[in-house]
Amino acid sequence: MKKIRFILSAVVLLAISVQAGAQSGYKIGDAATDFKLKNVDNKTVSLSDYKSAKGFIVVFTCNHCPFAKAYQDRIIALDKKYASLGYPVIAINPNDPKLEPTDSFEAMQVRAKEKGFTFPYLFDDGQKVYPQYGATKTPHVFVLNKENGKNIVRYIGAIDDNYAKPEEVSNKYVEAAVDALLAGKPIAQTTTVAIGCGIKAQKM
Amino acid sequence: MKKLFILSMAVISLNCFAQSNKPIQKIVNFAQLQTVLQQNDNKLCVVNFWATWCKPCVKELPGFMEVNKTYRDKPGFKMILVSLDMASEMDTHVKAFLLKNNIDTDVYLLDDNKRMNEWIPAIDKKWSGAIPATVIYRNGRKVAFEEGELSKEELVKMINNYL
Repeated sequence: MKKIRFILSAVVLLAISVQAGAQSGYKIGDAATDFKLKNVDNKTVSLSDYKSAKGFIVVFTCNHCPFAKAYQDRIIALDKKYASLGYPVIAINPNDPKLEPTDSFEAMQVRAKEKGFTFPYLFDDGQKVYPQYGATKTPHVFVLNKENGKNIVRYIGAIDDNYAKPEEVSNKYVEAAVDALLAGKPIAQTTTVAIGCGIKAQKM
Repeated sequence: MKKLFILSMAVISLNCFAQSNKPIQKIVNFAQLQTVLQQNDNKLCVVNFWATWCKPCVKELPGFMEVNKTYRDKPGFKMILVSLDMASEMDTHVKAFLLKNNIDTDVYLLDDNKRMNEWIPAIDKKWSGAIPATVIYRNGRKVAFEEGELSKEELVKMINNYL
């Protein structure tokens, strides 16, 4: 009887934790699911398209948010530095254009062209991918590392520690994380938080 | 006599002017903000983190101001806004926004960008950093935290849980 009760409570606990996991998105060490999203060039992009990549710098970002705008050039710099080392940037706009018209697919195309984005800028049509990751704001970065055929989440958080003044940055969190992965060393700071624009989606 | 009357009227109106509590509009770092939030004053303090560029924040503000109008005369209530706009825009952009939108609560602009990774979890461990976010303190101790836009009704419900 005691044993049954123990198993039962374990099952209940497991169910609760699974549900909590689904609500709050990925944690460090989780395997990220792949997606198939439309890029600004009208072609679809999946992580599995990148056969030779060692991992990814997935950035949830958008057109309208001042924080996202402040980081545009630094996101381009990340891609220029790390794509050739095996960690390309994949940018995803998670916002619903019905709520934020400046984040429409057409506006994304304009922005990508204006800024000369060197990476895919994907539209999370229907807002289905960002909740799986647990992105809550823009910009919000997830560094993934390919391990045994899976994309394991190794860093979640901000790009660096000063959105307003790039010249006063002293902690480049994403660079430090990818550098550690490249060196085969543990990442010193696996999660960080920063202020950002809440993702615009219809309330469930 | 007439002169005296005018003089006394002038004194009275001057007095009134001095007493009309002008709300605080000030740039602070996190340590300074903490001293504002952690006051042992027997009050329920509603604190809203927002920015002029944040659409859902701007959308929920009129509701917050209405709620403040209803509750502010109660001795045990106060409301504070914490702006996350850039400090360089306080005098130009932020103050004009406050005036235009009749925001009469105290407003602190939190200028501590480099330590976001410290003060965001210090406000609440659950906070991802997305705004708006609303915190309720009672007597300087946090009793509630909510990330995301709140309707007037949701805010009233939240307050009534603790008032």
